[in-house]
Amino acid sequence: MKLNQYSIRSCATILVALAALSANPMTMAMHRGGGGGGGGGGGGTTIPVLNATNVSLSVSSLTRTMSDGQNVNFWVFCQGGMGGMGGGGCTLPSPVLELGVGQTANVSLNMMMAPQEPSPYNGHTIHPHGLDVPTSEDGVPETGASVNGDTYTFSVDSRYVGSHAYHCHVHTVKHLEMGMYGAFIVKDGNRISSGGPTYDYEWNMVLSTVDPAYHTATGDSTVFADYNPRYYLVNGQEGLSTGAPAETFTAATGKKVAIRLIGMQSVNSTFRIRNASGSYQSFTIYNKDGFALSSPQTVTSADVSPGQTMDVMVTLPSSSSSWYPQVTYKNLRNGGSYSNGTVYTRLNF
Amino acid sequence: MWYGVCSLGEVGSCGSWIPYKKFCRSFLKLLVCVLAFITSPISWAADYNLFIETGTVNVSASPETGNGAITIPVWSYTDVNGGTATLPGTLLESVEGGSITVSVRNNHNRSHNFVVQGLTSDTTAIQPGQTRNYTINTPTAGVYLYSDTLNSNVNRALGLFGALVVRPSGGVKRAWTGGPSFNQERLWVINDLDKPRWTDVANSGGTVNTSVYKPNYFFMNGMNGFQAMGDAATNLEGSVGETFLVRIVNAGQFDQSLHFHGNHFLTISRNNTRLTTFEWQDTINVKAGTTAMVLYTLEQPGHYPMHVHTAQLETGNGVYLNGTAAMIIAH
Ligand SMILES: [Cu+2]
Ligand SMILES: [Cu+2]
Repeated sequence: MKLNQYSIRSCATILVALAALSANPMTMAMHRGGGGGGGGGGGGTTIPVLNATNVSLSVSSLTRTMSDGQNVNFWVFCQGGMGGMGGGGCTLPSPVLELGVGQTANVSLNMMMAPQEPSPYNGHTIHPHGLDVPTSEDGVPETGASVNGDTYTFSVDSRYVGSHAYHCHVHTVKHLEMGMYGAFIVKDGNRISSGGPTYDYEWNMVLSTVDPAYHTATGDSTVFADYNPRYYLVNGQEGLSTGAPAETFTAATGKKVAIRLIGMQSVNSTFRIRNASGSYQSFTIYNKDGFALSSPQTVTSADVSPGQTMDVMVTLPSSSSSWYPQVTYKNLRNGGSYSNGTVYTRLNF
Repeated sequence: MWYGVCSLGEVGSCGSWIPYKKFCRSFLKLLVCVLAFITSPISWAADYNLFIETGTVNVSASPETGNGAITIPVWSYTDVNGGTATLPGTLLESVEGGSITVSVRNNHNRSHNFVVQGLTSDTTAIQPGQTRNYTINTPTAGVYLYSDTLNSNVNRALGLFGALVVRPSGGVKRAWTGGPSFNQERLWVINDLDKPRWTDVANSGGTVNTSVYKPNYFFMNGMNGFQAMGDAATNLEGSVGETFLVRIVNAGQFDQSLHFHGNHFLTISRNNTRLTTFEWQDTINVKAGTTAMVLYTLEQPGHYPMHVHTAQLETGNGVYLNGTAAMIIAH
């Protein structure tokens, strides 16, 4: 049977897919608010949130039409047993996995129907990035991980409360770029960090970049000797202006919003929040790489480099407005900017 | 001794074999000079004698695919007069509150200099065949990049860089006097190079278009990934509970985001600015031309990679795992 590929062309498609998935409320939620009720995702994409204590992921191809009309093929992890089967539910980035402190993760990778590269870069794994798991659960083929499907079992202590990631660790230069990444959040109720304050809403932002040449090259190609990003994403979406944000999040005035920045991109990045009058709003950093800072830092700009994560929080004003959290991607040589290299999102309150 | 015997000429000529031969014309004088040379081959008054030479760095093939073996020309600082350059330059060491003297002879056919970032300010060019002497005060323990700052980064990109490590005096295993302690120490000097557009052009005498830089090779202590991951002096190998002080020097032009598996580490300084409170991280962005120090404690047994989390930096000219990498091995 040939794997069906499909294109996500509109928000409507995603919502239909989500409606289908939401039939299983135990494993599916939309941008759950921590304690104060749901925040609203929309205007872009909605990424499934799955409980890592018992989840099965497969690998599927997914073709996206980018803002310039070009099609790019991605590989993503999908909820369920068999490669998405052309049905709904496969997203870029891959689903959010959540694990409570003290719980045990059981994340199964099912390789049925998975698109893959020829040997020696065949197969896939799941690397729980930042979760410091034992070698046997680390998903690194070079240190013994199976590339033909596995179950990853691990738990973490309270130091890990906050944002991490998971991604394939086979031929990472290609497979990460292909879209095989997602947020992995360690939770302690709605505390933003170990011993930290609580939030009312949480907003995951997975940062990534796309060099289309990497999506068609394979093996030890010299294509992988040079990285030329053409598309800049937050949660899998381009957000080229404040009027066309990658994602719109809705929260109530006066509430606290945790924003989780998960750096899966291959260039530098800077996160800032522009308010409606155009100036940069301060926010407080509680975690770097999912570990609490001993003193939270209040800043107006924070760099998130490839592989880093950051948990920040803002308290919304008491009167309604919109803020524009944005990620500016920068090159590795001198921090220079890229054209269309800033991705805008929108926070309505 | 040898300095005294041969000091009739200018200091700068003593390090070179050619004027040395000229000077030692008579058999007797030659004998004295040779004896002095043998008993004290680098008996300069300086603590370190560096020689700017040409040479090569050898990239080994991926054992997985067999791809990627190549020899790349480099220019570097060595401690052998007339020696063959490799990467990185000779390691310099000093103690907190002390100083070292360094004599640099340029045996290459174009001008170079020698600057220790944050510690010296003499950027004067050393002409071919000339020698220049430096006194470097090292008040602060840490790790410093030294390099040739001339020629719009081309000279550094060709390999003219190295590290100066400054430790607390008395041999205490601490990052600095009164600072955090450790069991083992490692030095990671990392760099990138653009072979077709920079190295090959400059090495053959051409003019590099410095507006374009697309590095395709990445080195850890002068080694490609597969070499470095098998190098005991690079890897963090020890018993669970042991703490490594890792001094990192990014001598390249690309920021490198180093991701450690196994467990988080503590960042204790960035570019020799000590953090008032150390930060737990699993990924550290060591910007081009800067240094950092981290403490990595082996928390659990196993084999774990350290790699850069950035597309092409995981490769050597596209060959996977031949970029910046090391292994963490805890027993
Ligand atoms: Cu994969
Ligand atoms: Cu990773």
